[in-house]
Amino acid sequence: MAVIETENLTYVYGEGTPFRKVALDNVNLSVEEGELVGVIGHTGSGKSTLIEHFNALLRPTSGNVFIDGERINWDEKKTLRDIRFKVGLVFQYPEYQLFEDTVYKDIAFGPKNMELDENEIDRRVRETARLVGISEDMLTKSPFDLSGGQKRRVAIAGVMAMEPKVLILDEPTAGLDPKGRETILEMIHHYHREKKNTVMLVSHSMEDVAKIAKKILVMNDGRLFCYDDTKKVFERADELNAMGLSVPQITRVFNRLKEKGINITEDVYTVDFGKKLVEKVMEMKK
Amino acid sequence: MIKDITIGQFFPGQSIVHRLDPRIKLLLTVIYIVMLFIADTFLGLFAGIVFLAAAYAISQIPLKMILKSVKPIVPLIIFTGILNLFFITTGETLIKFWIFKITTGSIKTAVFMIIRIIALIIGTSLLTYTTSPIALTDAIERVLSPLKKIKLPVHEVAMMMTIALRFIPTLVEETDKITMAQKARGADMESGSLIKRAKALIPILIPLFVSAFRRAEELAMAMECRCYHGGEGRTRLKQLHCALRDMYAVFISAAFIALVIIIDRVNIF
Repeated sequence: MAVIETENLTYVYGEGTPFRKVALDNVNLSVEEGELVGVIGHTGSGKSTLIEHFNALLRPTSGNVFIDGERINWDEKKTLRDIRFKVGLVFQYPEYQLFEDTVYKDIAFGPKNMELDENEIDRRVRETARLVGISEDMLTKSPFDLSGGQKRRVAIAGVMAMEPKVLILDEPTAGLDPKGRETILEMIHHYHREKKNTVMLVSHSMEDVAKIAKKILVMNDGRLFCYDDTKKVFERADELNAMGLSVPQITRVFNRLKEKGINITEDVYTVDFGKKLVEKVMEMKK
Repeated sequence: MIKDITIGQFFPGQSIVHRLDPRIKLLLTVIYIVMLFIADTFLGLFAGIVFLAAAYAISQIPLKMILKSVKPIVPLIIFTGILNLFFITTGETLIKFWIFKITTGSIKTAVFMIIRIIALIIGTSLLTYTTSPIALTDAIERVLSPLKKIKLPVHEVAMMMTIALRFIPTLVEETDKITMAQKARGADMESGSLIKRAKALIPILIPLFVSAFRRAEELAMAMECRCYHGGEGRTRLKQLHCALRDMYAVFISAAFIALVIIIDRVNIF
């Protein structure tokens, strides 16, 4: 069943002013439940605008958004909050939204807004803290005393604790060192495996997306360029290059190897898989 | 929503008023205010308004902007009007009820005050409409520079103003972002009692303050890295020059203020 659907979704910034800009142009798309989707596109392609529609923060200029089969009704303010609980959105640099005096309270902010009872809140806070690798003794600390990477994990946990049907993360690895990126990606992957919920990961790092996403959604100039399996999307390397995106480095390496006439039938988009393949080829050569 | 706040309400243009030296504009605004307050007759006040209208006509600021500048002070105008109407007791009594009485004197003063306040706001708005905030702080620094003699940190104050102005749009943008993020976590800012709504601001204000302090620290560091050490011996990229047009402007304004004084002395109305 489709958990997110859009129908002719169009969004225009600054309508009626000289700064008018079409940010989303007639986007039709349907995301199935339980997918792990990577959303890519270069700066200004409309990916952030798109995801802000999914939890009713932006009202489309025209067209509709369906969450869980239900049309978002912007005239009924009460229902919008329920949608925000269903679709959790983690913004870019989410660590700047931390405000409580302890990590525990900050993670509990979302669940509290859902008016859950104390026990349930407690369970969710502890569970998500464990999921993102925040130890029990850190829960009583001030979030402002944590390191950058820890802060970010706490902020992500704050949204995860609402147990949304769909979790959307906007550039969750931006500005982190390679190890921090690795941890965050691993954490998201782990969350997806454990919860079986839909996850959307916005990024412009192909490597990040290729590593964990099963499907990829490509935005270009406010339009939906394609939404398909990771493998099929990276097969269109030339088109992606033309719009200023690239396929992962490892894919480029293997594409060149193929051009050179080495017999590789499979597509490679992660280093691990590439390594295995190389080993196999070496094995055969022996 | 929050983006509509205009604090630096500069309206760019190429008119003579725009190109006047900001120091002169500051001076002219002071002259204009004095003019409004020494005018004691309707004709005198009318002369002041003619001066204002002429200045606006030359500056080519659209009428819409004038209305926009008056709108926020409407409550103040009404309040002043009512106070004057009831508490001035000179002249003949027209209506009397309970402890209030309305007299010819009170009506005259009320109308006078209302016109004065409106003219005052519209006039001072012209200064901010035609002068960029940066030029304005520059002018203030220069005008106040004699106060350095009595150890007043004029340059530092002007620099603080410039920095504050520079960061208003940044902070507005940041507030928007944080609001969105908290809304995504289910923060409810649109319903509930006043106290509940005030409390709902905490999740926005704390991150905002934290980031403002962080920015301040970063900016201070960046300024020090570029060897900023205050105003001592610092030259300017844009020097202010008084041109012939500034002289004309001063001359015309002086003529107007003289006219207002003469009208008041003659007292024909």
